[in-house]
Amino acid sequence: METHSTTGTFFDGVTARPRPVTLRLTFRLEILGEDLRRDWSLLDLRVAETAPPLMRVLHAEGQESIEFADVAFGEALKARCPDLHRSERQGGLTRLVLWSVAAGMTVVLAALYGVPAASGLLAPLVPGALEAPLGRSVETQIVALLGDPPLCNEAPARAVLDRLTARLTEGMTKDGALPPVPQVSVRRHAVANAMALPGARVILLSDIVAKARNGDELAGILAHEFGHVAARDPIRAVITAGGTSFLLSLVLGDLTGSTVLVTIGQAAISAGYSRDAERAADAFAVAAVQRAGGDGAALAAILERITETEDEKPGATSFLRSHPFTAERAARIRALARTGQVSDRPSGAGILSEAEWQSLRGICPEPEGKGVGKKGAPSEKL
Amino acid sequence: MNQFETVPQPAPSRIGIIEFERRARGLTGIVVKGFLLSLVTFSIYRFWYISNLRRFFWSRTIVAGSPAEYLGTGKELFLGFVVALAVLVPVYLVLFLLGFAIPTLAPFAAPISFLFLFVLGQYALFRGRRYRASRTRWRGIRLGQDGSGFAYAGRASLWWIATILTLGLAFPFMRAALERFRIDHTLVGQSRMHSTATGRSILLPWLMFYFVGLLPILASLLALLAASGFDLPSDLLIQDPATEKSKLIFNPAYAGTSLSLYGTIVVVAASVSIPLALILIPYYRAREIRAFLNATNLGAARLTSALRARQFYWPYFLYILALLGFLIALGIVFALLLPLLAEEKPTVATQATLLAATILLYLTTLLGFAVIYVRLVTLRLWHAVATTTRIENLPALEAVLASSRPPASGLNEGLADALDVGGAIEIGF
Repeated sequence: METHSTTGTFFDGVTARPRPVTLRLTFRLEILGEDLRRDWSLLDLRVAETAPPLMRVLHAEGQESIEFADVAFGEALKARCPDLHRSERQGGLTRLVLWSVAAGMTVVLAALYGVPAASGLLAPLVPGALEAPLGRSVETQIVALLGDPPLCNEAPARAVLDRLTARLTEGMTKDGALPPVPQVSVRRHAVANAMALPGARVILLSDIVAKARNGDELAGILAHEFGHVAARDPIRAVITAGGTSFLLSLVLGDLTGSTVLVTIGQAAISAGYSRDAERAADAFAVAAVQRAGGDGAALAAILERITETEDEKPGATSFLRSHPFTAERAARIRALARTGQVSDRPSGAGILSEAEWQSLRGICPEPEGKGVGKKGAPSEKL
Repeated sequence: MNQFETVPQPAPSRIGIIEFERRARGLTGIVVKGFLLSLVTFSIYRFWYISNLRRFFWSRTIVAGSPAEYLGTGKELFLGFVVALAVLVPVYLVLFLLGFAIPTLAPFAAPISFLFLFVLGQYALFRGRRYRASRTRWRGIRLGQDGSGFAYAGRASLWWIATILTLGLAFPFMRAALERFRIDHTLVGQSRMHSTATGRSILLPWLMFYFVGLLPILASLLALLAASGFDLPSDLLIQDPATEKSKLIFNPAYAGTSLSLYGTIVVVAASVSIPLALILIPYYRAREIRAFLNATNLGAARLTSALRARQFYWPYFLYILALLGFLIALGIVFALLLPLLAEEKPTVATQATLLAATILLYLTTLLGFAVIYVRLVTLRLWHAVATTTRIENLPALEAVLASSRPPASGLNEGLADALDVGGAIEIGF
């Protein structure tokens, strides 16, 4: 066997003193220096990562190592040592990739399906004491997102609204479907929308009052939101949004928490409920309006009107707003109103008298200047 | 092979130099592989990527003829991250729920989380350094770090309070005090390093940065606050009604008042000072690193640094040039795609091509940015610091003995990663 030799440096792993040595490679590696003699088996050698031509070889047991800068010697060593790279084996890369893809998929699936399911189970368990402050902070956030629209509180209109709320929720607060009496607030805003928040809070935007043609239509919208409140949809949406963004930020490694809070507010305002939740709220609204003596089908009329005007608006977001789902909902609402007709009451008499309706319409008197909340938030949550 | 040039001579010189090969063959491959694999593994691969990067940089840094060695593995970092999550997730949940459970606390929830996470971040920084030190080996001797992470976090917090109270004047003294704490707790084997860093040594560069970059903004803001009786009207800035954009303008209602005058001064001061501050940051960083390295010793051996500020400017200058060139190249590719976009009735095939091209272009952009950054900024800064540093009285290092203390666990750095503090590669010691 050909003998290679070169000079190098020996480190004993105990002191940092470099010791010049001569290296001789035969079927073993001999290290010769002043007061120093090692005879290493080639099976025990491991190489560390270095930039060529430098090379560092360690003994598998113990802390001793040698360094040299001889490319030819290094090549000969590589050819004779089978286990030179053993400690550095980059095994399992494919396994790592597959496992992390699987883990990521699991988290994404959990966020998409697991969290909504879990929030459905959790929502009824949230105590009112916790839901009330949550509702307050969500309302603060949403009002800020809408651009701080002013509150509308004309006293006579307010009285009509409170009476309407009481009539729509009559009988429901007792049997426990609607825990507390919902707090309805009206804000001046140029988007026709209404939304239900945790803690039995309902926000009506003034444009929806303007778009309603009679008391029954507005009552239908209100009752629809009460339907969401009764089904505890708002708290469920908040739990889902929070859980999902929390999980996703886990995967993406952003754990600063701030994103979670922001996402909750945004999701609560922009993401609608599931179609099933909307249908249930529609059914609730038809029943409540009819029980209160109004026309349940009026909700269908205002829904269609709002969707039409939204569709006519030009802009990139219009395709997001048009949904064939409205037609389906309107048809269902009309069918429900027909079958659920309370026979002894004449339909169309109206839930509010003409005087009451005119009074309610004036809840948001035109201000002197131009209102601030001009820019509409993209939301469709009826 | 003229091996005798690189092999340490039997009678070692008294000065040890630090070499670093700037061409860095193989680095681009590590970055590309790290980027692509991080992408498909939901960024879990980043721990392995960071380990690969460190192993590369460590092994190419040749201190007095002997390359450093990085012994950390991606698995350790990943496990540390998982454990840190187990600690952090409940903390986050508590912080989150606190805001809802105690309504009076709600407005303070964000500041409280920030303060808490800041202190935890300082702790994580120190512990992350401990992990890196214990995974570094040179001449067969492991480095190490002792000292309490909480003590460090406490000091850092107190110093930051002092810095804020003195409107930033205490900053260099804070940097020096924390540097002394870090270095004095750094061990090479059994030998303890020592730092004599003083705030005075970096006071001049800091004051230069301070007077040009910070003071005008601070002073004009204070003047504005004083003019308003420390009760700034919330509608001083309103949305521009003319454009309906989210552009903020001064409320015309305040025109002619002293508020608008001081407000204008703030805007002017900021528009001059912020670019100047950005330009001066590399200068300050270079001066600080030089001062701190010069203050570092290990027994009789001490470090000297001849780092010049221009060595810190050149990489950023090249980086900006390279980014511009890269963006122009991307723009040309995009222009070639435009005819596809303009097509009247796009077929499914064109749409698919367009989508694929967009995704490809986007990923190429990100990958290009990553490669350009690592090659032009990280690599060159590392090179500048390493090659300008020398070890005086080198033979004193030979007395260093290995330590028998067990190496720190990867858990130390997990927290730092989960909190996103401390980059993969830190320049300086």
